[in-house]
Amino acid sequence: MTASRLGPQPGEVIDRNAPLTFRWNGRAFPAYQGDTIISALAAAGERVFSRSFKYHRPRGLLTGSYLDPGCTVQVGDEPNVRGAHRLVAGGMDVRSQNTWPSLRFDVKAANQLAGAFLPAGFYYKTFIRPQRLWPAYSSVLRRFSSGGVTSADAPHGYYDKRYAHPDVLVAGGGPAGMAAAVAAARAGARVLLVEEEHQLGGHLRWGSDAERAALRSLVAEVAAGGSIEVLTDSVVLGRYDGNWVAVVQRGLPGVAERLVKARAGVLVVAAGLIERPYVFAGNDLPGVMLSTAARRLVNLYAVRPGARAVVLSANSAGDAAAADLARAGVDVAHVVDARRGEDVLRALGRGGLRGVELSGGRRVDCDLLVTATGWTAPMTLLTMAGDRPVYSPRAARFVPGAGLGSGPLADVLAVGGIAGDGSLDELVAHASATGAEAARRALGGGSAAPVGGAHGAGGAHGAGAVAVPALGVAEHPELFHGGTHGFVDFCEDVSSKDLRTAVQEGYDSAELAKRYTTATMGPTQGKLEAVNVIAILAELTGRTIAETGTTTWRPPYAPVTLGALAGRVFEPVRYSPMQPWHEAHGARPLVAGAWIRPDHYGDPEGEARRVRSAVGVIDVTPIGKLDLRGPDVPKLLNLLYVNKWSQLGVGRVRYGVMCAEDGVVLDDGVTGRLGEQHYLMSTTSSGAETVAQWAENWLQTTYPDWQVHLTPVTTSYASMNVAGPRSRDLLRRVVSGVDLDPEAFGYMQVRMGQVAGVDECVLWRIGFTGELSYELHVPASYGLHVWETLLEAGADLGAGPFGVEAQRILRLEKGHLIVGQDTDGLTRGFSAGLGWAIKLDKPDFAGQPELAWQAAAGDYPRLVALQPADGSVVPPEASQVVEGSEIAGRVTSSRMSPALGRSICLGQVAAHLAEPGTAVEILLPDGRRVAARVMEQLAHYDPEGERQRG
Amino acid sequence: MADPVAGPVARSAIRPAGPVTVSGWEVDGVRSTAGLTLADLSALAKTLVRAPANGAMAGALGVPFARASRDASGALVTGSGPGEWIIIGPLGEGLAQRARLGAVAAGVAAGELITVLDLTHGRALIRLTGAAALALLAKVCAIDLADHRTPNGTALRTSVAKLTTDLVRDDQEAVPSYLLHCERSYGQYLFEALLDAGAEFGAEVDGFPGSSH
Repeated sequence: MTASRLGPQPGEVIDRNAPLTFRWNGRAFPAYQGDTIISALAAAGERVFSRSFKYHRPRGLLTGSYLDPGCTVQVGDEPNVRGAHRLVAGGMDVRSQNTWPSLRFDVKAANQLAGAFLPAGFYYKTFIRPQRLWPAYSSVLRRFSSGGVTSADAPHGYYDKRYAHPDVLVAGGGPAGMAAAVAAARAGARVLLVEEEHQLGGHLRWGSDAERAALRSLVAEVAAGGSIEVLTDSVVLGRYDGNWVAVVQRGLPGVAERLVKARAGVLVVAAGLIERPYVFAGNDLPGVMLSTAARRLVNLYAVRPGARAVVLSANSAGDAAAADLARAGVDVAHVVDARRGEDVLRALGRGGLRGVELSGGRRVDCDLLVTATGWTAPMTLLTMAGDRPVYSPRAARFVPGAGLGSGPLADVLAVGGIAGDGSLDELVAHASATGAEAARRALGGGSAAPVGGAHGAGGAHGAGAVAVPALGVAEHPELFHGGTHGFVDFCEDVSSKDLRTAVQEGYDSAELAKRYTTATMGPTQGKLEAVNVIAILAELTGRTIAETGTTTWRPPYAPVTLGALAGRVFEPVRYSPMQPWHEAHGARPLVAGAWIRPDHYGDPEGEARRVRSAVGVIDVTPIGKLDLRGPDVPKLLNLLYVNKWSQLGVGRVRYGVMCAEDGVVLDDGVTGRLGEQHYLMSTTSSGAETVAQWAENWLQTTYPDWQVHLTPVTTSYASMNVAGPRSRDLLRRVVSGVDLDPEAFGYMQVRMGQVAGVDECVLWRIGFTGELSYELHVPASYGLHVWETLLEAGADLGAGPFGVEAQRILRLEKGHLIVGQDTDGLTRGFSAGLGWAIKLDKPDFAGQPELAWQAAAGDYPRLVALQPADGSVVPPEASQVVEGSEIAGRVTSSRMSPALGRSICLGQVAAHLAEPGTAVEILLPDGRRVAARVMEQLAHYDPEGERQRG
Repeated sequence: MADPVAGPVARSAIRPAGPVTVSGWEVDGVRSTAGLTLADLSALAKTLVRAPANGAMAGALGVPFARASRDASGALVTGSGPGEWIIIGPLGEGLAQRARLGAVAAGVAAGELITVLDLTHGRALIRLTGAAALALLAKVCAIDLADHRTPNGTALRTSVAKLTTDLVRDDQEAVPSYLLHCERSYGQYLFEALLDAGAEFGAEVDGFPGSSH
């Protein structure tokens, strides 16, 4: 197929029967199904995939895994795609990121020449003064960052979320993770097995025939496990208190990413080992790669990584890589055996590797340098749980702390390479026993015996505990850097020289040097570079690695998209039963809390005029409704409301105001007495839940002996207000069982009856708009039927709908306050013009002491009606009432009144300005000041209330 | 427009895909044979009973808090809260069911404050049925719905798609099935949220049982 593609390999994951084509920087490239973007490009002989973060150096393949810092690419609209992990798809449009004009000739590579002038802390030192210029600096610097580009036109991805409740969650699907999962499932646990790569198996996938045979049998056992749910292409992001484990699942059809929120009984960490790069000059040249990367290319993707290779090996992985390369037809020119003290001095080349200079000075021409100098145990999940890993000089890596698996960490266990070393059989045996023990603990079998790991007691077990064999650690040379300076952090372009600068300038602790140089702060988050950073710092400061300590491992373990964290957007919305009618009749929607309400149907002033002249119908379903039953309801009403309720007769309705204990107005509404022990309370639309909880709280905590049942029934009823001089005429046509005669059904009374053929409707005569009006509460399922019947029956009376805006105009004309609009979080009862309702002589009610103090103090702001002298000016709501340069109040509501043909307002003003006839000044947002007058009463329209009582 | 001859039509908060009228209720007449279905059962009668949690009425209802089972009449009695029950019965029986339970209440020892309310119009009721029902709910609800934690007959009130929802496990002929009900005004939202969550499992809308075009 292409120059570097090998013949079929026994462990390959590509499907040669499924060829496809994709584009890389505009050019078509072939690939097979199963290829990653980078494996396909490597098969085509490509070696450079990105430019580095700071110096724009050409970068190629280093790890061949999700972590690979040099393989971040743009796919279509999606930036920062991990090219060595993402599977290639037909037609994919892949581009290099932040290269200009091209990946090969990148202008910003000039930074390399200036490299000497871009030492650690360069930005801090250079752009700190003058501080006010930082925004300008940052906009320029941003162009040098290596992130990809997002398009504003990119379709919104479907991000998703789910919950999981596994007894045992295994983080890592290598041999140990699989063995632990199988054993846990056999012990009866529900298991979630999470693997970051596309297949289970870890390093067995690119291993020997025997290792692949072991892999097949483990995979078969997992599949037969029954209660094991396997998530591949998924990664555990973090472990939080109570084994709350966040997993991000990728590669689902139709779902960009899914966040799995798992509450695990026991977390088994099987994160494996990550091969550690070696620090030397030229270590970032395309063509220098880790042994695991080379083995992945050859065995998984059938790609020959180069033509002529040098292998630096300190372990069996390096030896195996050399063997793999030879088998793949690579000319292995030289194997540098680090175990014998041999070393590589520097890698040579500019755009890519041309040769290697060995420590003895010998030069070897090659296009591939493979390094195998040791391993990093990714401790992230363990340290998030509270474990304190310790450095093992013998193993040249960190191992879990002694407390893991016992005491407060009894629900976190480790298996596999992160726990210790051994043969495959030993690691699997350890993992199996640990998995069984995890299941025992998760299923309630007790806990707290340490589980054998590199530091485990192995063998000392609590009652019933599974015997877990101990794992030791194998000897490995401590190799972190060679005799030359090279890159330590490939993501952030931090070199060992930068670390030296940091230490020289006093940033000599791991945490300080990290922040100063940004080492370990890139996307790999220390998994490749942290141990090298610490080892180099230790050497520079003359301390041991143990004394130097690590930087803090924080979530997320792997980079996560904001989309995955956001998940699905759940925003509950509420609709009235009449919503279909509103939509069909062009209602402009108003979002009011969760409710979608009709603001108006095109002409709010016209709708208001209709109510004044004929009859209008408004959907007021969101008004809160509480069904109250029991002998002690009057006690509750007297407690909640500031006015008196003991004398309310059956069939009567009363307006009431509630204040909180601080005297601040909480809610208002009317409550009607439907029967001897049966009341219906209405609240504001936004206050329904607050009032229900407020009342329940009193009943449950202070007066549990009161015999009251309070049931929210807001949406059991469709509510509509029929308002206007013709409203009675309209109701006569649709209501039966209720005498609508004014003498029989007077103002502030309630009746039960039939409306439009619907039984059990509640009718109350109240008047928010100031007109003769009836509020109908009808069983909600019939709301649309009643609404349509009303409008149909009233057509010749001029009946029509009106929306929230018309209602706001009408009630302002009438001077009725809206809680939360004309009051705020500081407005106590007397400031809301409610002095007439507040009965301080009642034995007790919520807010009474505060209101008594307010009344005694006297000097409180007042709610007044205001009219600007120039009736054409409508001061915007929240305009200030001013006295000279002092704020003396504010306009709380303002509209142009269709009935009066002038602007009208409600406002809060200082006590000394509240006298009727006082001239005040209103400051408009544009700086103008307009004169206004305080009115005699709150109502601008029909102050005597004859219309609503008629 | 309303038809005065036919009498008033009751409608669910959830808009039907294929509306048909059954006994004065507009219900959905579509049919699905999918393995995972979502049906609007809002037309079923719903009655709320409140009474002392351990009193005589509680004994007469016979269902403890957090459990659900059918009574002699076939109605599903749910212990929806401490001292609170929701009884779900056949379409059109709302007032009759209230009367029947009212009679039960009248028959128990005096001194108990008992409230019997018709909630037929106050709740949206959805049935989710199919082997993947649990997987669907795992996307919108944080409760562990595994068989051994929430077996058939479990009732609970929790957050589903960020909405306070009553969830009742009520299997249908050994197929996992859940009744979900919420305040009526949220019904359309909950239905759409469940359909959205179920898209990957091939969830389809099924009609009201016994109705069809």
